Amino acid sequence: MDAVHDVVVVGAGCAGMRAAIEAYDAGADVAMVSKIHPVRSHSGAAEGGINAALGNASEDDPEKHAFDTVKGSDYLGDQDAIEILCNEAPGDVYQLESWGAVFSRTPDGRIAQRPFGAAGEPRTAYAADITGHVLIHVLYEQVMKRDIKTYEEFFAWKLVIDDDRCQGVIAWDLINGGLTSIGAKTVILATGGAGRLYTGTTNAYACTGDGMAMALSAGVALKDMEMMQFHPTTLAPTGVLITEGCRGEGAYLLNKDGERFLVRYAPNAMELASRDVISRAEQTEIDQGRGVEGNVLLDLRHLGAEKIVERLHGTRELSMTFAGVDPIYEPIPVRPGAHYHMGGVDTDVWGQTGLEGLYAAGEVACVSVHGANRLGGNALMETITYGKRVGRHASEWALTHTTVDVPASVEADAERELKELLDRSEGERPWQIRDELAETMHENFGVFRREEQMQRQGEIVQGLRERYENVVVEDKGPVFNSDLTQALELGYLLDLADCMVVSGLARKESRGAHARPHDFPDRDDVNFLRHTVVTWEDDAPKLDWKPVTMTKWQPQERKY
Amino acid sequence: MKMALKIWRYDPLAGERALREYEVDAPDWATLLDVLDIVKDKHDGSLAYRKSCRMMICGSCGMRMDGAAVLACKTRMYDIAESGHVPVISAMGNMPIVKDLVVDMQPFWGKIRSVEPWLQPGYSDPGEKEYVVSQEEMDVIHKESLCIMCGCCVSECNSMEADPDFLGPAALAKGMRFVGDARDQATVERLQSYSSEHGIWDCTRCYFCQERCPKGVDPRDAIAKLGAEAVHAGIDSDMGAKHAKWFVTSAKTTGWLRETELVPKTQGVVKSLKEVKFALGLLKHGKVPPPVPPHVAKHVDESRALYDLVKQQERGGADGIVQSEKALAHLALDTDEERDPYGEDSFPRPLPIEKDGE
Repeated sequence: MDAVHDVVVVGAGCAGMRAAIEAYDAGADVAMVSKIHPVRSHSGAAEGGINAALGNASEDDPEKHAFDTVKGSDYLGDQDAIEILCNEAPGDVYQLESWGAVFSRTPDGRIAQRPFGAAGEPRTAYAADITGHVLIHVLYEQVMKRDIKTYEEFFAWKLVIDDDRCQGVIAWDLINGGLTSIGAKTVILATGGAGRLYTGTTNAYACTGDGMAMALSAGVALKDMEMMQFHPTTLAPTGVLITEGCRGEGAYLLNKDGERFLVRYAPNAMELASRDVISRAEQTEIDQGRGVEGNVLLDLRHLGAEKIVERLHGTRELSMTFAGVDPIYEPIPVRPGAHYHMGGVDTDVWGQTGLEGLYAAGEVACVSVHGANRLGGNALMETITYGKRVGRHASEWALTHTTVDVPASVEADAERELKELLDRSEGERPWQIRDELAETMHENFGVFRREEQMQRQGEIVQGLRERYENVVVEDKGPVFNSDLTQALELGYLLDLADCMVVSGLARKESRGAHARPHDFPDRDDVNFLRHTVVTWEDDAPKLDWKPVTMTKWQPQERKY
Repeated sequence: MKMALKIWRYDPLAGERALREYEVDAPDWATLLDVLDIVKDKHDGSLAYRKSCRMMICGSCGMRMDGAAVLACKTRMYDIAESGHVPVISAMGNMPIVKDLVVDMQPFWGKIRSVEPWLQPGYSDPGEKEYVVSQEEMDVIHKESLCIMCGCCVSECNSMEADPDFLGPAALAKGMRFVGDARDQATVERLQSYSSEHGIWDCTRCYFCQERCPKGVDPRDAIAKLGAEAVHAGIDSDMGAKHAKWFVTSAKTTGWLRETELVPKTQGVVKSLKEVKFALGLLKHGKVPPPVPPHVAKHVDESRALYDLVKQQERGGADGIVQSEKALAHLALDTDEERDPYGEDSFPRPLPIEKDGE
């Protein structure tokens, strides 16, 4: 064991840093382990905002927020978890503000709030269109203030399980090379999502589902893995995010005829319907030949230059750089792209997983706050509120338990496995497998899903897994060996793809992000108002089910 | 299309540098980062560079192209490849190289930490609600809050090249982000600290940071604002502050810089006595105008009017800076008033909505 801490947080985005701050303030010796510097984390790319019923723009209360979230989740969200989120959200946003978050303001100097999709009130607090950037930096400022130990550019590779408890992580030191074993009384996974499973994704290269896959191989259950959200407004060709804030500010979605086509899909909410609804509408328009070169158009022109420059400055910069389009003068071509994993490590409302000492918070976790479809602005809020709660619980547990042990055999096994990979010189390099995985997931497990395509995808993933067995890392050196870490990431992605396909095939209905218009076009509450749960047994995913927690709201037909 | 690059590789174990050329097939829309990815995938898996978001917000992929710092993900390659130019890619400057295009950013973060980059609001717990602060007050730190800590400005900093201990543009811009924050209660302490050696006044104003910042933070303007705030707060004992103040005095009295008096006003009389020999040498060669009688510029009224205008508007400190105002205007209003969003070269107006049954 090279080091030991009370609490180790893996991942240092908004959830990870918020958890670390909470644990530190509770008196725990806390350290973060992150494969990239904390401010490089993908939380920083969140644009539109963070939802809390502050009531600064209208009469609002946490119960309305909770109802919108429950309905948005297509009733798959756990209502106890949702109520906690919505009740604690306002206080948590005030906390961020008191730390210095540079929120946009109302004329009377309060935190400004804008309308967002599927929200009954203008509830999304924002900092222009760089809300995630502002939050990640304010959290890192607080981390610096507390001088919280950070294992920067350490790639967490394996959880240490001993005595049926999670007791640390084994990480690869990217800068110097070599494995480091870090013991901990509690480990919090905060590694984010796995958008890199798809070719068109808003997600960063770093979003490779590391925490989900590490938990899975430690025997921990993943929940609702079929629920991958497609964001309606991403830029071709790679999927760079254009914020929902555009539509919150009043932008239109048009097809090639200049028609605001949502009138045929969501006549009341129009462009502010929920993301799953809009992504399906767009895909239908594109599939039926009413798109523009595989896109639809996001029209901001009527908002005027001043509003665009003031509130959507980042969007303008992105459109001009990556699409060559200035949204003041031309509509932005957009299409659905993989964006957010509602599924993840199964946790309770304190972030505890099925394994003692192991917690999860943020996108890596499935509490489940988002169910089958997340509302825009709820992800950042979840990272903060659940980051805080998990940091609190994990530190309390750590401070009341004493021993940590990383057995030498665990370290030796990791060393051996790594050596085997690095010593292999004959075989295929990972990039082709990675590209094929992402292309086929997009094709066969995208906005719309068909039984036979999902089955085929299962076979494809199986074939890719076999090829991965003989993958070769070309860089053999110790220093900044990203060739090695990228190979390990691909292994994670392959495991997760398997889980997603198995869950998707089992859910024989259409709910939220899981749309099967060809065979099961309707929601089926009798059979499927429950979570899919996957564990890894005998080198394959094993499917099970878990009930949804209901408190106040019975399922209703979902219309926007 | 074919895209070619030369990359300065660095092997830390052998301690060797080498310039290698690569040519790849890349899509027309490829950025520099995309091209590096193709090189790594198909040509050399050992190539090292940082990347993550590929959308100009995480700040990972700062590097140099033909000697100037860029974000690889923001740099489109089409025009460069089309022109036949083969750009040279290298690691950022002013930071030790770890491997190939990866630099050690610990010194960078050390400087960021040294400006105490966290809000010091004078209270410890959040109140019942948020701190009330107007949008106008928040706008003061708009540009500084855009900083993604990529290090491009530091890479280009000439002062830091001469004095590695110089705080540098990123840390000072971060400092301005707090000095300008209406909620922060540590302004004076901050200005004192940033005004000490290796601080605000050690910037040579080369403007490379400003020119090469990929996010429009304008770090040199931030440093100018800090200087103005420091002088405004009476924190002006540094020679740099005195130097700046003498520029203002000269401008409003005689309309141009009275260089002969600049040295004693900046360094103090005692210290400048040591420079007398040097000054006489300059005088002899016609490099300085004789100090007496003071030479008054022909249109001195104009510079006095400008001074009075700023004074009348009660613009003290950073508010008095005219230069950065122009820069801000450049960033925010770079639009084409003549262009019609619904003109012939754009998409037609949306159709009116027709709802069923209405």
